[in-house]
Amino acid sequence: MMENKARESLCRYLLASGDDELILGHRNSEWCGHAPLLEEDIAFANLALDEIGHAAIWYTLLADLRRENRDSYPDRLVFQREAQDFRNATLLELPNGDWAFSMLRQYLFDLYEMVRLHRLAESAYEPLSEAAQKISREEFYHHRHTSAWVRRLGLGTEESHRRMQEALDRAWPLAFQLFSGPEVDDVLVYSGYVPSAGYLQEAWSEAAAEFLEKCQLKVPADASGKRIPRDQHTPYLNVLVDEMQSVARLDPEASW
Amino acid sequence: MGMTDTQLPRFQVFLQETPDSPFQDVGSVHAPDAELALLNARDVFVRRPECSGLWVTPVTSIYARTDQELAAQGGRDDPDEAGGQIEESYIVFAKQKSAGSQVMLGEVLAASPKAALRAALENFNRVKAFTWWVVPARDITRSAPEDTESMFAPAREKLFRQSTDFHTLTAMRSLQKEPRGLGAGR
Repeated sequence: MMENKARESLCRYLLASGDDELILGHRNSEWCGHAPLLEEDIAFANLALDEIGHAAIWYTLLADLRRENRDSYPDRLVFQREAQDFRNATLLELPNGDWAFSMLRQYLFDLYEMVRLHRLAESAYEPLSEAAQKISREEFYHHRHTSAWVRRLGLGTEESHRRMQEALDRAWPLAFQLFSGPEVDDVLVYSGYVPSAGYLQEAWSEAAAEFLEKCQLKVPADASGKRIPRDQHTPYLNVLVDEMQSVARLDPEASW
Repeated sequence: MGMTDTQLPRFQVFLQETPDSPFQDVGSVHAPDAELALLNARDVFVRRPECSGLWVTPVTSIYARTDQELAAQGGRDDPDEAGGQIEESYIVFAKQKSAGSQVMLGEVLAASPKAALRAALENFNRVKAFTWWVVPARDITRSAPEDTESMFAPAREKLFRQSTDFHTLTAMRSLQKEPRGLGAGR
């Protein structure tokens, strides 16, 4: 029987996880029709579908904990919340920028998922461990794809290398927000529900630095993203949420 | 014309639906190299769940002959010029139905693409095909058995890709039954 404090913490954790996937998935979907290669256009659309599917999984677990309807609650979270109520990391709501930025951001997130899901698969909270196992199969593939591109662009032409380095300089500090915040609090760690953020951050930054070095990319010595609270957002999120919800808000009672 | 092709190299993609079925040509992808070609092939071609293996090969590695070309040469191919090379494995594909695609028949050992085709015609002499392809086995990049979980298994759960999951017809019928006019339902 879960205590209220643990339940509340777990709800915050699941909401943040779902929002991360949803917002990044939405950004991924914006490449549809615009990617530099037809094959990558399809690949990014697949990535978007996967991420949004993962969001649905996290939101469904949240619905169960809050004793809400599994089918309608995720839709309400996505289509009826105000932008300020989203709890995604800031890095993920930034506009796609160039191909290098999108690819690099996706790589950093995919590596974070690989490290995190590996541990979450051992969660003492069974629905969480099951979800993690299911999601990690797809994340393994995402990581394979995005790391392949980061390497090629990092070691490619002078232009691709420059754009990759600029992308890394911008994304790296912000990525640290993934490992901070009250969403991952001690109650959850002590209960064995989620891995400690400190452990994840170390594993992630070590693996990322090692890989990026092989791509001849310099990792900045800046982790300032840690200080950004998840309820703080950029104006970019307002635009994103407006567009994402525009059709649903035309007729909230419509059946799909 | 002097047109420069700025596209990346093209790779032919072969897909195996089940572990017991033959690899078949499903199309091609452009990619910078074989590794990305394999990943792209998965995203472009593995939409439905039936996939247990994926191969890619540069299109330049395919030696192809149509039955008409072979007939014009009296059923045999041009003899090779150089001899004494080392034999290696070639994968043989044939297209037996005009509306079908290249399907793997098997392997032959040969010292060159032309020799491989000759060997294929001998080995598979009961097969009547529109086109024959031979590809050096070492030019094929293959998905690994351990890739199944991450590359192919997820498609099985994505039922929304199956036409059986499209409820458009049902939805349209129920919409047509409802009395509707301007302003109805608002």
